[in-house]
Amino acid sequence: MQPVGIPAGPRPDDDDEQALVTALQRGEEAAFAELVARYGASLLRLARTFVRDRAVAEEVVQETWLAVLNGIDRFEGRSSLKTWIFQILSNRAKTRAVRERRSTPFSALAGDGADDEAAVDADRFRDETHRWAGHWAAAPGDWSALPDERLLEGETLAQVQAAIETLPPRQAEVLVLRDVEGWEPEEVCAALDISDGNQRILLHRARSKVRAALERYLSEGATP
Amino acid sequence: MSRTDVAHVTCREFVEILTDDLEGVLEAGEAAEIERHIVICRGCSNYLEQMRSTIDLLGRIAADQPGEAPTGAALAIFRAWKAERSA
Repeated sequence: MQPVGIPAGPRPDDDDEQALVTALQRGEEAAFAELVARYGASLLRLARTFVRDRAVAEEVVQETWLAVLNGIDRFEGRSSLKTWIFQILSNRAKTRAVRERRSTPFSALAGDGADDEAAVDADRFRDETHRWAGHWAAAPGDWSALPDERLLEGETLAQVQAAIETLPPRQAEVLVLRDVEGWEPEEVCAALDISDGNQRILLHRARSKVRAALERYLSEGATP
Repeated sequence: MSRTDVAHVTCREFVEILTDDLEGVLEAGEAAEIERHIVICRGCSNYLEQMRSTIDLLGRIAADQPGEAPTGAALAIFRAWKAERSA
């Protein structure tokens, strides 16, 4: 896709994005199709971290596309096109999730969970009375000792997905963008309008919970 | 506060600081302490590997389930938008 002979700028996507924006402003369908091909699946995955019902999530994605089109003339490129699109989705999905209320407690939508959330249950460590206080009482096992392919099984991946679905939405959102979609931390902060520190805390809690869920799943299998 | 037995940082602290370490935002001194801890603590080195596997698995979700985008619906939105715009 990179045009031959044109030196890449500091961000190789910039020129390409600008071309897409211009084409969209001119109403070129091919440009819009390109955008859908690029971000459609990712938008749907992110929407589903807020509204788990697939049909509702698809509606949120469609509302996002309409908002993108309606706003494209005013798009000034202060953020990247990608960041802007995901900002729109995130805001719409949040509004929708609040409206639907679904089964999520409101506190999970509003906040990020308790501040004292621990990455690992306290009872896995030796308590204060112990000479080795704070060190493992029940240490994590060695996953490389698992039977071949155990980690790579489809069921293991399904467990990871199920774990994402139990996370508070803010944590799920950061985790999906960082680790599923592979975004840089700066992009996530911009799209979700959160600080770098907040982004890291949400990521930390989310990753810790997914690891714990996997550990539970894999240890069940180890001792049938 | 610090414990000389297992290079100062406790396992309980380790699991909370790990993301900062992986994100590369720890001060050099703290990062070095984490390094020393992993070398002598089997439980934490396993924990680190589990976290790496977890991140790796998360990265495989997108490839595994492209979750086909509802292209048709999106294109319908585009056409309606364009028609209204040029009307």
